[in-house]
Formats: sequence, structure tokens, C-alpha cells
Amino acid sequence: MNNNAGPAGTPLLHVDRVTVRFGGLVAVSELDLDVPEGSIISLIGPNGAGKTTAFNCVSGIYAPSSGSVRFRGKRLERSFTLGTILWALAVGLLTGLLFAAAAVDVDRLWLAVVKRGMITGEPFTMSGAMKRLRGYFRSELAIDQMAGKWRVVSADGSDVLAIKRDLGEATLVRDALQAKVTARRTGPGTIPDATDLNPRAAAAAPQVALPVVKEEVLDRLAAGKSRIRWRGWLGLFSGMLLGIAGTLAVWQRGRRSPHVVARAGISRTFQNIRLFSSMSVLENVLVGLDRTIPGGVFSMLLRTPANRRAEAEARQKAIAALDFVGLSGDANRIAGELPYGDQRRLEIARALATGATLILLDEPAAGMNPSEAGDLAGLVERIRDRGVTVLLIEHHMNVVMRISDRIAVLDHGTKIAEGTPAEVRRDEKVIEAYLGGEG
Amino acid sequence: MSNNRSPRTSAPPDPSTGPWAFLAQRWELVTLGVLAIAPLVIPALGGALGGQVTNLFIYCILALALNVMVGYTGLVHLGIASFFGIGAYVLAILTVPMYPFQIGFLAAAVIAVLVTAGTGLALGAPTLRLRGDYLAIVTLGFGEVVKVTLRNLEQITGGMKGLNPVPPPGAGVTLGGIDLGKEFAIDPRWFYYLALLSLAGVVLAMRRLENSRLGRALVAVREDELAAQAMGISATKVKLAAFAMSSAVAGLAGCLYAASLSTTADPNAYDFNRSIMVLCAVILGGLGSIPGTLLGVAILVGFDTVLAPWADSWIQQMNVNPKGLSYLSFSGWRLAIFGVALVLVMRYRPEGLIPSRRLAAELHEGGAGS
Repeated sequence: MNNNAGPAGTPLLHVDRVTVRFGGLVAVSELDLDVPEGSIISLIGPNGAGKTTAFNCVSGIYAPSSGSVRFRGKRLERSFTLGTILWALAVGLLTGLLFAAAAVDVDRLWLAVVKRGMITGEPFTMSGAMKRLRGYFRSELAIDQMAGKWRVVSADGSDVLAIKRDLGEATLVRDALQAKVTARRTGPGTIPDATDLNPRAAAAAPQVALPVVKEEVLDRLAAGKSRIRWRGWLGLFSGMLLGIAGTLAVWQRGRRSPHVVARAGISRTFQNIRLFSSMSVLENVLVGLDRTIPGGVFSMLLRTPANRRAEAEARQKAIAALDFVGLSGDANRIAGELPYGDQRRLEIARALATGATLILLDEPAAGMNPSEAGDLAGLVERIRDRGVTVLLIEHHMNVVMRISDRIAVLDHGTKIAEGTPAEVRRDEKVIEAYLGGEG
Repeated sequence: MSNNRSPRTSAPPDPSTGPWAFLAQRWELVTLGVLAIAPLVIPALGGALGGQVTNLFIYCILALALNVMVGYTGLVHLGIASFFGIGAYVLAILTVPMYPFQIGFLAAAVIAVLVTAGTGLALGAPTLRLRGDYLAIVTLGFGEVVKVTLRNLEQITGGMKGLNPVPPPGAGVTLGGIDLGKEFAIDPRWFYYLALLSLAGVVLAMRRLENSRLGRALVAVREDELAAQAMGISATKVKLAAFAMSSAVAGLAGCLYAASLSTTADPNAYDFNRSIMVLCAVILGGLGSIPGTLLGVAILVGFDTVLAPWADSWIQQMNVNPKGLSYLSFSGWRLAIFGVALVLVMRYRPEGLIPSRRLAAELHEGGAGS
């Protein structure tokens, strides 16, 4: 059971002291199992021995409570790459921007940046929009128009400070009031910056009659800048935190998913047949071939020559896979309409189509008569001869004894014996497990 | 189509021969041909009827969008109208004279489709682990959130007034001496053809999707998510793709809708009623079936927007109902007829009027097995 046999002797699949618990129930306990490349290894044992649980654990449906499963010496998990980080950052940025948009009131931001640009009649330019955007975040006073009159308003449009008939006059008032507001900005983070102070304002001050603005309004306007910036940063920061944390949490939970295991080269069939029963037989195998078909959504929509070729090749491969299990005559039938034995063979064809190097067969001969089971044993041997390693759960003893290179016997979640068919057949514990305590 | 699936060997009447074969196999070409000639032959399509039929085409596109989610992937989606609305509003924001962007219809439509696809992804990503009823509730909630957001972002969306006027496609474009914008504004047949062309494009895309790697993956995830994953298919990615495609196509429908009405209308046009109407059409026609979906829309929406007003005006003309009593007008009974028809179809033909081959097999098997 030690994996110190050197790299050449590393088994294809190495199950190391795997325990699976469901609540208080131990389904598999401290299971060690090595599957050398090119062999047929069987797992046998009475019902409820934990064989299927062990399969589910290998194929990534359950994570082991403890212990590890290694395939070609590697853990079957998605690795943490730069792509993961970038993806988390991208999602984080998106949520951050969404939160920030809500925090700074995107509706008023739009009013300030887009709509005000239209009011003064100047053509829309990127630089103008950026200027207004900066103005919004500095909470600068702005000018807009209502009912033919020019108004000096706060950046978000909630305060109207003055109403003038003439645009020039309104501009002067705006500049003068802006200077007043800026002068009130004190404290950290609200130091007046150069763009707040307009040189025109000082010159204009004597020429226009300034409207009376209440002190508390001026104070509020002065405080507006730090408030909106604080809100924006807080929104961005909390949104990013949430987005990144959420993405990483989801990534972590999906790390050991069956598709990751399948892509590594382990495929399986299921004890209770899980075909795509309303698809055709051929389509079922094509789903198995999914990973081998190149091309993305756009080549599919445009049906490029490369895409046609890939699909045609996949079809040929699928028919070859069906031929291998002896179902090529039923390619266009609905999978759910096939007889039971054929469904099992279709599942095998589908699993083989993925290009797996290790295939897990969960009771492939269940419900078959001895002659069919014999055919199936032949099929399993042919799979092995194709260079695909087989891990098998089976109850038909003559199948198991005929084709297995080694057999592991499970009972109540623990491995009670392992060896060649002849050894296992003679093992006291195995006989006891199968025939009961008196034997 | 060389790679068309050959018909089932077990089906007794072989549809690959006989005079109906052409009609059955090339139904989309035949229908397209008939619809393309119709405005030249039927003058009424140059009037109000043309607008109604255009509306029908837009609904068809929307229903095909929903079909990607509900039919192929088996994810119940009750908020498709929100993507329809987002498409309409994005197009409007980019084209209305009120805002400085005012770009052409085509570019705006492309952006709107990308934005809706992105929104679909943003909705899909956090909800992928939900199945069945739970996803239905999330999408229902999303639909309401979008509706209320559109209403409350008054500065951007114009609130209950909506955004208008959305210029017709081709505004400012002159082609061979014809001012396209003007033509679109005067003659509804231009819109009829634009919508028909878009619908044809979407049907073609859906056909290709069905027979492609992604289409098979969608169905595989619907049939058995675990088995699909065990085949190396990332259910997450497949579902996200379904979300994105469905939203994008719904966004396209929204673009056409806003342009054809030359307004986004108010946000209530994109509420739950529209989502459920489209869902009913898809289920009535046959989940996962393109011809079924189109037929479902033609019957349900056609009944609602074409037949009901026509019957009302006929009753008025006949002077049967001079007092305007609601129980004597056709619209008064509209929803009752609607409901009874749905109940009857679900009772006697649960797989829909033109079931998809795949789903039909599933339902019958379920019936036989129990």
C-alpha cells in the first residue's frame, strides 16, 4: 500500500486511507486501493458495503471526509491559478462598481454628467463629460436650465441656489458661490483644491448680486464633497470585498466537482442507469465526446467549415464507439427506449467516448442473464485491451472471477481482503461476509 | 442540411417520404417564404395589422429566447421580460435625441444585446446552484427588481414616461435615394421585414444550437446534471451560456420592440405579465421545440393582440353590444378563454402542441413507467 515504489511503479489511481462519513454514519472507512495502469480491478462486497460510495468519492461526487485520491500522482482538484485570481478580481470589480453606483446615486450622477451636457447646447465630448464627472464627485455647483431660465444648482440637483435669465450672469453667480462653498471646506479630506477655486470668481464677485444663501445650506454643500467620496469608496470597497470573497467561496466549493475529475481522465457509469434518456443513442455518445469537439459559440452559430468538420468527426467517433459496444444499429433510437442491457452498454460507450484512461463501471452486469453477463465480461476485457484501465463493481461472481486481475472486498465500509481471484475466493473473512457469521 | 437527424425508425408513418415531407422538413423555409410574400399580397399588412404582426414576430423572438432556458436547459425563468426591457431601454438611451449618444440603430442594438447578455451572466452566476422552484423565485424577483429600478431611475429612464421618441432604424441613412428613416416611419412593412429577418436569423441560430455541442450539453444538463458533469461537462459554464444567450436574444427582441413603438413605453410593459405570457406560449407550443414555440406565440399572443381587438370591433360593428357591457365584449372573455384553453392543452397534450422529439419521449416514458 505504500507509494514508495518509485515514479515508474506509481499506480494510475491511488486511494489513500479514504474515509467518507455522512453525519454519524461511516460509509467507507480507511480505504486503501491501488489501481495499476492496464488492469481490471474489482470491488466486491455485500450490499451496503460502501462500494458505490467509494466510486462516488473517486469520481468527485463526494469529497472524502479524510484521506486522499490521487490520479497519476495528482490530486483531483482544480488548481489555484492566476486565472482564478483574475476572475475573482473581475467579479469583485463589477460588484464594487455596482455598489458604488448605488452608493453615489447613479440617477443623479447621470443627470449631472449626461443631461447637463445637453442643456448648455455644447456638443457632447468625452472631456466635457469627464469634467462634469469630476465636478459631481467634488460636489461642485453646476448650471442647468428649467423653463427657459438658468439655475445654479448643487451637483446632484437637489439644491437650487439662484435663478437667472442670462447664462453669463448665472455662470458668474455659480463661480462666486462655488468660491464661498470651497472656502468653508475644512478638515481632513476636504482641503480646497485648485480646481475648486476658479480665478474668474474673484474678479466676478463685485459685478453680480449674489443671492442670499443660508449658512446651513453652504455648510451642507461644503460637506457634500467628502460625503459623496466617502460613500463612493465605501460602496466600491465593500462591493469588491463581497464579490471577491463570494467568487472565491464558490470556486472553493466547486473545486472538486465531477467534471474536473472527468476531464482529468476518469469516467464512469452509474448503478442506476443515468442516460440522457430523451436524447438519441448517438447524441448520448456525442455528449460524452463533448470535450473533444473544438470550437466555441460563434463558430457554432456561423457554422464555420472547421465547426462542420469537428461535428462530422465527432459523429464518426461516436459511431465507432457505438460499434465497439455493438449498438451502431440503434444510433438513432431514443436512449430511453433501449432494452436494459443495451442501456448499460450505451453508458459504457458514452463513458469511453470521453477519452478516459480509467473507467469506473458500477455493476455493469446488473439484471443480466448469465449469457449476457458473459458478453459483458468480454466487453470489459476488450476495454482493457484498448489500454483503458477498469475499476469494476460487480455482483456476478463468474464475471468478476473471470476477468479481474485483483479483487478488493469491502464489508461495512472496510476492506476485508484484497488479492487475486483465487486468493479472495479462499479467504475466510470473505466467505464469512458473504455467507454470514456461522460459515 | 446534411446532418439533419434521420427520423425515428420505430415511428409508424414515415415522414421522410410523401408530399408532406418537404413541408415537414423545411417548414421554416416554407413559412418564411409565405410571410415574406404576404405584405406584397395582403394590403392590410401595410396598415395596423402590419404593426400587430410585427409585434407577433417580436414576441416570437422573445419566446425563442425563453425557450433556451426553459426548453433546452430546463431552468424555469419567470423574468424574461426584464431582459426584454433592458434591451429596449439600452437601445433607447443610445438613440433618443434627449441624450448625446444618438448612435445608429445597428450599433445600438449590438451594444444592447451585449449589455443584456452581460446582465444575464450577472444574474446567472450567483444563482447557478439553485434549481427548479428556487430559481423561478429568483428570476421572478429579478424581473420585479428591474421593473422597479427602471421606474425609479427617473433621470436615466424617464420614469413612468419612458424614453421617446426612439428614432426608427436607419434614421438619417439614405440608401439609393431612399431616406430609410422616413420609410420606416411611414410604412409598417419595413418594420415587418426587419422583424421577420431578425426572427429568421434567431430561428437559424436556434437550429444550429440544437445540433451543436453546446445544444447537446444544455439538454444533457437538463436531463441529468450529474451524469453530464461526469462526462466532463461543466454544468456551471453551460448554464451560464444558456443565461447569456437567452438574455441576449431577449435583448434583441427588446430593441426591435422599442424601435417599432418608437418609445420604450413605461416600465410596466416589462412586468411579470409579459414574462408569464411568453412562458405560457412556450409551454403551450412545446418546451424545447422551435416550431412549437412559434405556434404557441402565434396562438396565444395572436389571440390576444390580433384576434381579440378584431372580434371586439366586429361586435361593435354588428351593434350587438350598444351599451358597451363588458360581458358582451370579446375582451371581457379574453382571459377566461385563455385560461380554459391552457387547462385543456395541459390536460390532453402536456408536452405541447408540437412537442420537441426529445421532450415528448421523456413525458411518455414517465407516463408508461409509473
